[in-house]
Amino acid sequence: MARPVIEAPPTTPAGTWLEGEELARRAAARTRRKRLALLVAGWAAMLGIWQVAAYYLPFGTLPNPLEVSVEMWEIVASGALVSDFLASVLKTFAGFGVAVLIGAPVGYLMGRYGYWRAFFLDGVTVAGTIPALTYAVLSLIIFGLSNLGPVLAVALVSTPYVALNVAEGIRGVDQNLVKMSQAFGRSPQQIRREVFIPTIVPYLFAAVRMSFAVAWKVEALTEVFGGTNGVGFQIRTRYQLFDITGVIAWMALFIVFMLLIERLLLRKLEQRVLAWRPEERAAR
Amino acid sequence: MAVLTVNDLCKTFGAGTARSNRVLDHISFDVRGQTFVSVVGPSGCGKSTLLNIISGVETHTSGDVSVTSDEGRPARLGYVFQDPRLLPWRTVRKNMLYVQDKDDDQARRRVSTYLDMVGLGQHGDFFPGQLSGGMQQRVGIARAFAVEPDLLIMDEPFSHLDAITARGLRAQLQDIWAQSRKTVVFVTHDVVEAVELSDRIIVLQPGGRIFEDIPIDLPRPRRQSDPAVATLQAEVLARLEKMKAITPQAATAV
Ligand SMILES: Nc1ncnc2c1ncn2[C@@H]1O[C@H](COP(=O)(O)OP(=O)(O)OP(=O)(O)O)[C@@H](O)[C@H]1O
Ligand SMILES: [Mg+2]
Repeated sequence: MARPVIEAPPTTPAGTWLEGEELARRAAARTRRKRLALLVAGWAAMLGIWQVAAYYLPFGTLPNPLEVSVEMWEIVASGALVSDFLASVLKTFAGFGVAVLIGAPVGYLMGRYGYWRAFFLDGVTVAGTIPALTYAVLSLIIFGLSNLGPVLAVALVSTPYVALNVAEGIRGVDQNLVKMSQAFGRSPQQIRREVFIPTIVPYLFAAVRMSFAVAWKVEALTEVFGGTNGVGFQIRTRYQLFDITGVIAWMALFIVFMLLIERLLLRKLEQRVLAWRPEERAAR
Repeated sequence: MAVLTVNDLCKTFGAGTARSNRVLDHISFDVRGQTFVSVVGPSGCGKSTLLNIISGVETHTSGDVSVTSDEGRPARLGYVFQDPRLLPWRTVRKNMLYVQDKDDDQARRRVSTYLDMVGLGQHGDFFPGQLSGGMQQRVGIARAFAVEPDLLIMDEPFSHLDAITARGLRAQLQDIWAQSRKTVVFVTHDVVEAVELSDRIIVLQPGGRIFEDIPIDLPRPRRQSDPAVATLQAEVLARLEKMKAITPQAATAV
């Protein structure tokens, strides 16, 4: 028996579409919950191992997580965190500033002119492969007990990254935009400002983010040996007092805050500056 | 008065080498002010080279090219390219201001006027990446008009667009041109497009000579549906067929 098509039960497309939406939302929520559960499990395992180790190791060698958290809270509450942490962050960013001031022009020359590329390439590559520790030691030798040591160490570590990335960025400049600018009679300075620099800014951010991961560790390390303030300095002070809890508390706080800076501050700044990029808009 | 004068122009790429290639061969023509001239011809006959020489981006081997401005200042040129060539990190309005000589109130007014004319008055603060290809090309057109050029050069500005978008933009270009009456040299492969837009069509043949210089005397605005337009289009196409018969290298193109 042929059923007339007209009597088919009306299924509203909107209904099925909404159902689909709902299903997708639930699946996404499930994935999120699973990921959160794993994250919590990971942290619990880590703290558990720490707790057990603290318990079995000879008394006083390793403080347990609770003692460290209390100490961390005291550091935060006393206000020491803000001043010393700020000192470390400022030194790190001062180092970046120096790295950009030196690395960006070098990278610009390398990207633009074959001769300069030949001149700088080996030096920059070698500088990029030298272990960060070497730079820390070098900075200590040069500046001794001073706040300039950490700045120099960060600058030395980051400059090759900046130079290589900027060189890469310059070579990615869209020649059609350069020709367009020339056709409309724009000056070389205008072309540099409006075409070349905007092209390399994303590469500059990539360089800073890549070198940040190494830079803040080198900064702290240099402070430990030669700083007069900052997180590394605090770690050394606590160490000299045999205050292991204090050492670990400062270390933990430093890690947490540097990760926050890396994940939140740098990322947000990048999103702001690169707001014109479709992928940045999609991410917001 | 002639805005553009091309006199006995020759261009040979790689002159004096084994790969010497004569692209333009004794070309002479004038373009009077406020006229819209199309240059058509098969691929590789030297159309883009001609535009590049006019704009000073390319050198020529012999002959003269001059662009005159009405007030004795250096001549200002405007360009529309095959692709939009907008700065992706600048908004539409900033892109248009970038090629203005001064960023003053007058420049801003011009930018707004021409943005309105291409129907993007509401999109001044958008980034190019937020616009469709056709909209970006319209910004490119508005940008070129907004410098108030003495000579406006367009090199196949619609060839990268789909047929429907291209048709819409052609109609818009006609309207803007009717209002601004800039002197235009427009390169295209498309004879139908050339007849719709131009006062005059210069046909280049392979080897870089002028095959024909055809005046188009049709009232404006011209619409595709107008039989007079269609008749003339057919006639110009027929003449190009004749050129292909005479110059066999051209038979593969157009
Ligand atoms: N920079 C260059 N060096 C050497 N030869 C060139 C150069 N630019 C163009 N040519 C040659 O000049 C000839 C004409 O090129 P042109 O780009 O002017 O052609 P066209 O008419 O614009 O073609 P199309 O319609 O495909 O854009 C071609 O044979 C090309 O190979
Ligand atoms: Mg061409």
